[in-house]
Amino acid sequence: MKKLLSAILAVLMIVSLAGCTKPVEPTQEEGKVLNLWTWNDEFWGFLTEYYADEKIDEYNVKKGDVTIKRTTYPSDNGAYQDALDAALLNQANAAADEKVDMFLAEADYIIKYTNSDATMDVKSIGVTNFENTYKYTVEAASDAKGVVKGVSFQCCPSALIYRRSIAKAVLGTDDPAEVQAKLNSWELFDAVAADAKAKGYYMVPTPLETYRTFSNNVTSAWVEDGKLNIDANIQAWMVQAEKYMTEGYAPGAFGIWDAEKNDQMFADGKTMCFFGPAWYFNFCMGNAQDPEKGCSGDWAICKGPQAHFWGGTWMLAATGTDNPTMVADIMNTFINNEEVCEKLVREKAQFSNNQKINNALAADASYGSAFLGGQNDVAVFAELAKDIKFQHITPYDQLCNEGIQTYFREFLNGQSTKDQALANFKDFIRTTYPSVVVE
Amino acid sequence: MGKTKKAEKKKSISYAKWGYIFIIPFFVVYVIFTLYPQMLTIYNSFFEYYRDGLNVIGPNFVGLGNYAKLFSPNTAGYIPIIRFTLNTGILWIIGAVPQFVVAMLLALFFTSTRLNIKGQQFFKTVIYMPNLIMASAFAMLFFALFSQVGPINQLLISTGAIDKAINFLAIKISVRSLIALMNFLMWFGNTTILLMAGIQGIDESLFESARLDGSSSTQVFFHITMPLLMPIFIYVFITSMIGGIQMFDVPQVLTNGKGTPDNTSMTLIMYLNQFLGISKNYGMAGAVSVLLFIITAILSTFVFRTIAGNKK
Repeated sequence: MKKLLSAILAVLMIVSLAGCTKPVEPTQEEGKVLNLWTWNDEFWGFLTEYYADEKIDEYNVKKGDVTIKRTTYPSDNGAYQDALDAALLNQANAAADEKVDMFLAEADYIIKYTNSDATMDVKSIGVTNFENTYKYTVEAASDAKGVVKGVSFQCCPSALIYRRSIAKAVLGTDDPAEVQAKLNSWELFDAVAADAKAKGYYMVPTPLETYRTFSNNVTSAWVEDGKLNIDANIQAWMVQAEKYMTEGYAPGAFGIWDAEKNDQMFADGKTMCFFGPAWYFNFCMGNAQDPEKGCSGDWAICKGPQAHFWGGTWMLAATGTDNPTMVADIMNTFINNEEVCEKLVREKAQFSNNQKINNALAADASYGSAFLGGQNDVAVFAELAKDIKFQHITPYDQLCNEGIQTYFREFLNGQSTKDQALANFKDFIRTTYPSVVVE
Repeated sequence: MGKTKKAEKKKSISYAKWGYIFIIPFFVVYVIFTLYPQMLTIYNSFFEYYRDGLNVIGPNFVGLGNYAKLFSPNTAGYIPIIRFTLNTGILWIIGAVPQFVVAMLLALFFTSTRLNIKGQQFFKTVIYMPNLIMASAFAMLFFALFSQVGPINQLLISTGAIDKAINFLAIKISVRSLIALMNFLMWFGNTTILLMAGIQGIDESLFESARLDGSSSTQVFFHITMPLLMPIFIYVFITSMIGGIQMFDVPQVLTNGKGTPDNTSMTLIMYLNQFLGISKNYGMAGAVSVLLFIITAILSTFVFRTIAGNKK
């Protein structure tokens, strides 16, 4: 085994050496390959449909004479960041067509890249019009000095997504304004949860579903002065999660991406509330949209107990790109091309990052989402977008958020004690981030 | 003068140098790809050397700092690495004991001239088959089979054995058993074949004479087969033990790298791998590696001394 490995390494080394010797010519002409790094195919789908001229295969599209090539690693356990970091650190040595030109990053770790030299000022390559983008999306993509390093094609205020039929049974109404009034705070939410249970329903599909509403309203960051810090609001979530499990307000402590959770979105599901931004409808609610077992149209959204946002994908320009013009063009297309932005909303159920388009649709009485029973979701999101604050962010957030959910879930499932779960989480952070002091 | 020397040389003609020349390629490869990285690992274990975001921290010499960190208790008051060492030991033992028992029995059956089993080639191929599958693919398969919505649960529910799906991957005993089962399935064929080779190497006349003297099968096994099989058995045992200490792929894939539940299936190499995750912590990973090396060396020497010592 070891020998085989050595042989493979030997071959790899020769290959990489060969790669190095290729001269990197400083061309005026731009590269013929644009390398885009992603962790899923969500944005890729939009790019293929609204930007590219021709689709070659799942990983390559053509725009003019340039091939846009996708490199994808899963986000789990930081695998995407891991691979991307290696590529970015090797950027100077990579051949022109191998260099990362543009990559996507998520709210949880974008700061790691914006605050490094691996990304560049997008204004310098021609992305200058931020008139219509949401302010927080620009702040999130800016470094400590305020230099903008990227843009987002979406804005991600997160809403309470509820089943109309269950809301009628539990609350006696499915009107978003009335539902909102009855779920306006966590106290009310908890009270309704008890009510729902009494009537044979679940409030949430898993206690982890409310995690983002809490984690997004923290008053301190995950790491303060170099030390791991569990904010009071995260602790409040833990209290709620424990209560919801012991009281039976959720069918089980499933992971937020688990099949068991998604099963609750079928027509025969018994769960009333889900939380998510616009991207959640298409990306996570496939079961609800299922023509046979789903319940499209039986949904509606409102603000819920606490305003928050979840995720969001930013496009960042990698330093050393040989396609700056096209990188800028893609960015401009997805924030300023009104036709594309409107299509994103109408056809892809996205909440675009163009306020003009969003506000126009919000005011358009004829616009409504069939999935939400005709409700104008853009109007709700446009209102919620005003409350988004991008703050208390650290580069360590992805694995802190993932880790606390993983280990606390074990406690919720009865696999460990609460103390043990916290100790496991802290061990995980201590192992994963040596620069963070864990006490 | 020159003449006599030449003559002398001719007399003691030596092919030894060709031997050395022939093994040069191996040693070159060994030094570059094994010895040098090993030395580097030990060297790195004395340094603070990792990535914080996109910045590389170190290498800064910290002496035994990494080892001190490795053995410092966590917030729950115990030392994680000791727990993971025990996990690794348990996972190996519950897989290896049945593996040796079954492999030994099979090897005895296959080599027994009295049973004279037909179609040996076929059985040997079949029992070796699981070893050809990649461990990760095997683990993925089990992950799918035993998931809450997987076929095993469906089967159990449809036959009425249970009424609610069991989350096999969230129960300590079932996760550990699954890991042991997979390791057993993957390795018992390999062990059987090695032991068979060992038994076949024993002079047949010894068995015959024992039988003529009226000894029972048990007596033959304990007084002839086992003692003469010892060198092969020690080899198989130690390789299995080293493999066990380095257990990684099966639990890593089955538990998604988290050693669920409650870190009870987290092995030493999985722990090492966590250090090499996002922060590429060569210092700490190096310290874990050195520790593994020491544990392996001690256990191997111990096993070798006790088993081989008894024989003599």
